[in-house]
Amino acid sequence: MRQRGFTLIEVLFALLILAIVITTTLLVFVDRTRRLQQATETILAYQALSNEAEVRRRIDFSQLDNASISFISDTKILTPLQPYQTYVTVADTQPNLKNVTMVIRWKNGQRSARLSMIRADTGGTNLW
Amino acid sequence: MVNGAPAPSPAGSRGFTLIEVVVCLALFGTFLLIITMLTREMNGYEKRLPVNFMAHPQVGAALSRLRRDVLDSTNYPDTYDAYSQGPKTLILVAVQPSGYTENIVWDFTVPNEVRRRAYSVGNMTSEWVAHGVPSFMVKDFEIEAHPDSVRIQAYDKTGGLAVDQIFQPRRHGQ
Repeated sequence: MRQRGFTLIEVLFALLILAIVITTTLLVFVDRTRRLQQATETILAYQALSNEAEVRRRIDFSQLDNASISFISDTKILTPLQPYQTYVTVADTQPNLKNVTMVIRWKNGQRSARLSMIRADTGGTNLW
Repeated sequence: MVNGAPAPSPAGSRGFTLIEVVVCLALFGTFLLIITMLTREMNGYEKRLPVNFMAHPQVGAALSRLRRDVLDSTNYPDTYDAYSQGPKTLILVAVQPSGYTENIVWDFTVPNEVRRRAYSVGNMTSEWVAHGVPSFMVKDFEIEAHPDSVRIQAYDKTGGLAVDQIFQPRRHGQ
């Protein structure tokens, strides 16, 4: 009976198939992990946005335009997203109404989270 | 055949040449290197992020109830029953839908457990416990010279700040 080993082409082809299977499996795993990381980043960002909203709700309506355009609240929770930028814009939408928009950008601006809220002039007391 | 010498190969069969083996190993080695670099980069980034406690339903439930209690709160007594206000205990008086008030104690002293006890006229009316949650810490928090807000934080085992929420009461009677 004639016996022979594998040729180089046979071995390369087998390795190619193995590489395709491993790469596909790994890419699925990497994609899943990336999505989980993005979800964690978003949750961190929205906690910071929520905290900033609490602070901005407490500022007197008349002082909203003069408040800092960066976040006033402690943003320690955003440390894993460094470098990041935070900014706040205040726009007059209607008389006695202001639209306060808070934004966080990270990953060189590729990712962002934003939260808007309407503040109303209630005549001296803050609207909660 | 001399004793100890290798047996002669059958006709037509041969092993790989050194060049063939080296080429195969180089190709597969390159592939493994790419995989290793990819996973290392992925793991390195993953370690920067804290544990996502907010994905745990019990954590979400505890924070939602706490937010609601603080929103409805009117004041924070220093002590109630055997509890004292502190970084692991939050005591508050909250207005109920009926219009009456309840004393509510949030107890974070037991690791990985949150206990909420409500008292009405000195009697405990409800107790709710969440398990498998991180160790929360409570701090008082001041916003615009109003020290009536509550800040709740939780760190994961590596010291990463995973939960940081500020709650403030709504205005009552205005």
